Amino acid sequence: MVRNVCFSFLLVFAAAPFRGQEADDPDVKSKIVALERLSKVQAWKAKDIKTLDKLLDDNYQLVNSEGKLQNKSDVLALVQSSEVLDYIADSIVVRTHHDTAIATGRYQIRGLRHGKVFSERGRFLDTWLLKAGQWVTIATLATPTG
Amino acid sequence: MKPILLAIMIFVSATFVSAQAATSEGTAAAIRALEQEWTTGQSHNDNAALDLIFDNALIYVEYGNLVSKSEYLSRVKHSDPLSDQIELQPMSIRIFGHTAIAVGVYAEKQMRGSKHELRRWRFIDTWVYKKNGWVLVAAGSSPIMN
Repeated sequence: MVRNVCFSFLLVFAAAPFRGQEADDPDVKSKIVALERLSKVQAWKAKDIKTLDKLLDDNYQLVNSEGKLQNKSDVLALVQSSEVLDYIADSIVVRTHHDTAIATGRYQIRGLRHGKVFSERGRFLDTWLLKAGQWVTIATLATPTG
Repeated sequence: MKPILLAIMIFVSATFVSAQAATSEGTAAAIRALEQEWTTGQSHNDNAALDLIFDNALIYVEYGNLVSKSEYLSRVKHSDPLSDQIELQPMSIRIFGHTAIAVGVYAEKQMRGSKHELRRWRFIDTWVYKKNGWVLVAAGSSPIMN
C-alpha cells in the first residue's frame, strides 16, 4: 500500500510542469535521480509493469550488456519473466540539456531468470526526455564493468 | 466549393508531411555524417574536429568506465592511430524533436602484441541540437557476445 502510494506520488512528480526550468537545474537532477531509483530499483523488483510502461517511451531502445538491441516490449517481457532479488543503482550522475537529461551510474542486479540464478554488474547510461510534461526514458545502455 | 477546399487541404497536408519527412531525413543524414566524422577524427588524432562534435558536458562510457570529454580527448591525442582501427557499420537514427538517438555497430581492430584482435560493439549515442548544431551529449557501447 505504502509502496503504491510512493509510486503514484513519483509518477505525479514526474509529470509536474517544468516551465521556466533551465539546463542543469538541480530540481531536474534530483527528479531524474528519483525516477532512476523508481524505474530500476523499485519497479523492476516489484514487476510493476504499469509504472515501467509510463516511464519508458514507446520508441525506447536498450543496448544490453551482451550487446543486444531490445525494445520496450522486450524489456517489459524480461521484467515479467525475472525474479529480481537485489537491484542496486548508485553513483548516479545527471547532466541536463533543456528537455533532455542524461543519467549514468553503476548497477548491480541479482535474481532468477527461467529458474536460473543470474548476477550482473555494470554501468548504465540513460537518456530521459521531457515529453508532454512527463519525463520518459528513450534510450539505455547497460555495459559490463571490468 | 467543397472539392476545392478538400483539394487545398490535401495539398497543404501533403506538403507538410513531405517537409517533415525531409527534415527528419536531413537530421538523420547529419547525425550519420557526424558519427563518421567522429570515427575519422579519432583515427587521425584530430582533437580540433572532435572538440566541435562533443558537448562540453559529454558523458562517455568507454569499456565500462565513465570518461569526461577532456579525458577522452587526451587519450585520443596520445594514442597510436595504427594500433586501434574503427570501422563503422550501418546505424539507425530516431529523432525526438531536438534530441536524436543513434544505434549501430562498429568493429574495432586492436593490436595485441604482434596480433590483431577484432571485437564488435553495439553503440547507443545521444545527440542534442544546440545553437551551433548537433552535438554529442552521451555515448557508450557494449561488446557483442557470440
